[in-house]
Amino acid sequence: MKLHPLSVPYRAISRGLSLGTTLVFIGITLSGTGTIPRLALPALVAIAIFGVLATAAWQVAYYRRFEYKLSDEGLDIASGVISRRNREIPLRRIQNVDISRNVVQRALGLAALDLETAGGGETEASLRFVGYDEAKRLQREIQRRKRRVNGRAVAGDEAEEVEASAVERPPETEEQLFELSATELAILSVLSFDLRYFSLLAFGPVAFPFVPGITELAFVGGVMLAAMLAVALWAIGAVVTFGRYYGFRLSRVGDELRYERGLLQRYDGSIPLEKVQTLTIRENVLMRRFGYAALAVETAGYAPGQTPSGGSEAAVPLATRERVLELAQEVEPFDPPEFSRPPKRARRRYVARYSLALAGLSGVLFGAQAVFGWPDPWYLPLALVLLTPVAAHLSWANRGYDARDRHVVTRNGFWRRTTKVVAYDRVQTVIQAQSPFQRRRRLATVVVDTASSAGFAGREARAVDLDTEDAAALRELVGRRLQERLGERRSNLDAR
Amino acid sequence: MEVLNPRVRFVWVVGAAVFALVVGGGAFVADRFVLGVGVWVAAVAAALALVLGVVHALLKYRIWRFEVRGDDLYLERGVVTRVNTVVPFVRVQHVDTQRGPVERAAGLASVVVYTAGSRGADVTIPGLTPDRADALQEQLRSLAIESEGEYDAV
Repeated sequence: MKLHPLSVPYRAISRGLSLGTTLVFIGITLSGTGTIPRLALPALVAIAIFGVLATAAWQVAYYRRFEYKLSDEGLDIASGVISRRNREIPLRRIQNVDISRNVVQRALGLAALDLETAGGGETEASLRFVGYDEAKRLQREIQRRKRRVNGRAVAGDEAEEVEASAVERPPETEEQLFELSATELAILSVLSFDLRYFSLLAFGPVAFPFVPGITELAFVGGVMLAAMLAVALWAIGAVVTFGRYYGFRLSRVGDELRYERGLLQRYDGSIPLEKVQTLTIRENVLMRRFGYAALAVETAGYAPGQTPSGGSEAAVPLATRERVLELAQEVEPFDPPEFSRPPKRARRRYVARYSLALAGLSGVLFGAQAVFGWPDPWYLPLALVLLTPVAAHLSWANRGYDARDRHVVTRNGFWRRTTKVVAYDRVQTVIQAQSPFQRRRRLATVVVDTASSAGFAGREARAVDLDTEDAAALRELVGRRLQERLGERRSNLDAR
Repeated sequence: MEVLNPRVRFVWVVGAAVFALVVGGGAFVADRFVLGVGVWVAAVAAALALVLGVVHALLKYRIWRFEVRGDDLYLERGVVTRVNTVVPFVRVQHVDTQRGPVERAAGLASVVVYTAGSRGADVTIPGLTPDRADALQEQLRSLAIESEGEYDAV
């Protein structure tokens, strides 16, 4: 199969534009410095025409030499204009199939299709661009063929002849799991102020002059500036979120999850349920107050930070807490967890930790005051020490873990409470770690690592600050349960 | 529990010495261009780094242990932060043996076990004799194949 013919002009124009802009910038920077000879207008026009022709020719060649084929074994892609590459992706290794279309592509009926497998850092196969219908057909066909191949493997060799009629089931109906309502989208957009934007505000004070006499003026102006910036950042965050999650829908087709979202750029993709690594439920303080939560379904497909939502496209951005739990149960049926908290002495550790942090901050401010004479009361952060017991208690109260029959569930964080659900048969390694501070109080942390790509950012399931003995017990329990689950799966397969 | 070969201390001490040289060099440059206190700063910094490095290496050797258990590989390590890791054989993707120049001089080798996990995706067992490293690699590989069966690694 070939790419869509319209992909040639589309690629040529988009590539040409970006190349052109770069060249113009280089030209502007270098002009007048004498690095490049002054060119007459005809020469410039000639160069431009040559560039356009070369780009177009390259894209035509790319199109002519790009070929893909979907078979029962996998997807074969032969590509490359000068150096050729033949790639075969086995069907059962495919994790996610993502389709994206921006406004122009939608008008032209084009779509970009990306296939993810667990290996490697980058997207394994990327078709730029095929027709939207073709992309949807591939998505469906990959699922269908995968099921057929699996069915054949289970049924054994003798069934191979009847496979075509017997194993092939009628096309599955699509069952809608969740649709983001207009109200929820509005709430989500309004609440989507990302705390990370605050780091931009840190540059604010640098801009204020340290001229004596106008300090008060600068302070008032600074506060106003910061407030305006905060409002602007909040508005940007709201608009971005609105565009990203507009028309979000999550549905289930047989053994796959399908999602759709986006206002200007539409995304839709599929995730096989058997590839789900971890479920993450997030509730920040505000969401908790009003009974909302967010759910992310994590797979091993993406490289770190590759996707806007950090490794999970099938994330329910906002829904009522009950709805989120229901959805999570639908994806991965787990028992409602009963969390056991860390021992109470962990709170003393948090008090010590926060106090140390405040002392460190005061130290830095003291140094700044000694050098720049600003800020004047450098010991101000020390007043916050009074609040550390409260903070410590909140931290402690939100931590917990629960190791049930089939899943281990961990919970952490007050500002952004994160609950992670990991099925034992998804566990890759179990790590028990103990820092010197933890050693003093006989505490330890157990990290349950999966192949989920979201885990790269240190967001794997962690049971923090357990009693040393409990931690060792949990470490061994998770390992044992993994073996039990795998044994069960194997005997199920044998029985079939 | 199996301990590492005592000669691994030599490998780590060499590493610490190299690090001390780098620290000394850094201190020398800083002294030359910024501080201007005297060359002794560089010597003190290097000596301090060397002492710390040697103590760290010795402690590391005393703490490091590992065991090939029924279903998994179990490791204990870490001087400052103690880390105990369980690597189930089913999750092992592949096993390498490695020999760096210093390890070759000490007649030692390392075994590296790779999993598909997002954190700690590769685990290194240093300080093994080449024979032990080969045997361990072979053992882990056959255990990984044996426990795999129908099951996908991810």
